[in-house]
Amino acid sequence: MRLLSKYNRVNVFSTTIVLLLSAICYYFFIRNALVKQLDKDLIIEEREVLDFVKENKTLPESYVYKDEQEEFHPAPSSAITRSFSSVELFNVTHGENITYRQLRFIISADGKNYEVFIRKSQEETEDLIQLVLKITLLTVVALLVSLFLVNRFLLRKLWEPFNTTLAQMKQFNLSGGTQVVLENSDIDEFTELNGAVNVMTNRVSQDFDEIKNFTENASHEIQTPLAIINSKLELLSQSENLKEEQMNTIQSIFEAGHRLAKLNQSLILLTKIDNKQFRQNGPIDFSLVVHKHMDNFEELVAAKQIMVSCNIENGVQLLIHENLADVLVSNLVTNAIKHNIEKGTISITLTSNEFSVSNTGEPLDHDPAELFERFRKGRVSSESQGLGLSIAKKICEQYNFQITYSYADLLHTIKIMFNENA
Amino acid sequence: MKILIIEDEKELSDSIASYLKSENYICEFAGSFHKALEKIELYDYDCILLDITIPGGSGLKLLEELKSNNKLDGVLIISAKNSLEDKVTGLTMGADDYLSKPFHLSELSARIAAIIRRKNFHGNDILKFHSIQIDTRAKYVTVKNRQLELTRKEYELLLYFISNKKRVISKNAIAEHLWGDGMEGSNDFIYTHIKNLRKKLIDAGSPDHIRSVYGMGYKFSD
Repeated sequence: MRLLSKYNRVNVFSTTIVLLLSAICYYFFIRNALVKQLDKDLIIEEREVLDFVKENKTLPESYVYKDEQEEFHPAPSSAITRSFSSVELFNVTHGENITYRQLRFIISADGKNYEVFIRKSQEETEDLIQLVLKITLLTVVALLVSLFLVNRFLLRKLWEPFNTTLAQMKQFNLSGGTQVVLENSDIDEFTELNGAVNVMTNRVSQDFDEIKNFTENASHEIQTPLAIINSKLELLSQSENLKEEQMNTIQSIFEAGHRLAKLNQSLILLTKIDNKQFRQNGPIDFSLVVHKHMDNFEELVAAKQIMVSCNIENGVQLLIHENLADVLVSNLVTNAIKHNIEKGTISITLTSNEFSVSNTGEPLDHDPAELFERFRKGRVSSESQGLGLSIAKKICEQYNFQITYSYADLLHTIKIMFNENA
Repeated sequence: MKILIIEDEKELSDSIASYLKSENYICEFAGSFHKALEKIELYDYDCILLDITIPGGSGLKLLEELKSNNKLDGVLIISAKNSLEDKVTGLTMGADDYLSKPFHLSELSARIAAIIRRKNFHGNDILKFHSIQIDTRAKYVTVKNRQLELTRKEYELLLYFISNKKRVISKNAIAEHLWGDGMEGSNDFIYTHIKNLRKKLIDAGSPDHIRSVYGMGYKFSD
């Protein structure tokens, strides 16, 4: 749920409740006040009647005038208490029952007790209260409408700096080398947010650069001693009069050094892909890359009597870094050759949607799901590092390609489905 | 022929010099930016081996210096970085080749030979080894004046051998030279090519120069 809708939900709910409650309170308070006012009027009338009786020793005339009535009846008993009440009576003028406020009291005149009713219409009061209620309800509606409009237009505008910041952060790419440029907002919270984002992205970029430098330096530091070891061994192997045993030892060290160097290079490559340090220059002709590698191995497969069938569509454009395309194709093709059998087959297919390499070979001796994991190797190639397919997978992930492995009819197939948007 | 090795790792530059010496190259050393700058300003070299990370400055800056002085020295960058940016920058700035550490001395030697041939300082495209003659421009091999039909990889292999004659070349170095990364350790693949090359040379009347060195590799000798 968006912050805005959540806030709105609570806001509208509580506002409505408060407004309704206040409308109810209004109703009772105003009604009470108005009735009190009526009662005061009635008391004034009462005093007038009392004064009249005191002066004239007789009752005034009963009268009914519009909304006012005065009635005198002989009192059934003297035990009637003075009381205010609201009553409904037929009104001739209105032709219907209306509510009256009435004061009932006892008065003595001519030695007799009379029951007096003074009434005033409560209609105006009711009208007033209704008006107040209507105004309140209208206020509620107006408030809700204005809240809705404010949320819709004003808040959207108010949140704009936030959305801009968010969009920039989403596009933030460490290896892209672009800095997040955030404009200052006149709202303190957003200015603070932008400031924090700026500080954070700068620090992250800095850390990233440090790690990148560290990776490069580490590779430098490791490759140089390896280069020395290899070169010394190569010199040593030139010596005459080496015994067979010594030659074997030199060769073993040589192999180990070589593997270490390749391993180091592969790990650096994986890290670089992970860090997205390969910046895209634009689409390349993937068909040419495949052709180049097939040509490179042409004689090799012929020598191994491997039947190669190529089905390579020309001019397949693919958005992939040239070097990664090289590594990808080379890894898959060398795998297909290395893990092949004598007089086996390799078939390569390239269309604008997929690239697949199938080869004959011994069935896997492990779970195919582990095939793309680092340091997983088949039994055939104790020499290889088991990183080739893991690098291939990493490259595919980088470009949203789907890489799958299947084994059917004695054929190992690695298929890469390109993203259709590519 | 004169080679300048700009490399701060003395052990490595010693190894390189020691290997190249028997190819009749004269090697000089520069272990720092300033020493290197001094040397390239004073002398001409057939080929300069240039490490990018050297004390006192960047190797790329030296390359810039060389090119702005219109020096014709061949430049081979040897870098531990194996960083694509460095490679691309180096080559676009006019370096002739790029080799990342660690490398095989045999590969280095072959690359240097190729650069010097390409620069053609000595006006000679013909490599000779006893009765074998290679026209590196036309990629044409003759034995006793008879043309030899070699496949591309066999030609590359022969050229590699002759660039490293009388040296033990490891199988991995050959595999990497022929196919790039990834085919090392598959020695039976090399063996097929060597067998074919040897057969073609012998059939053409050349003595068998390719000698297998037990456990280590091959040697192209007299």
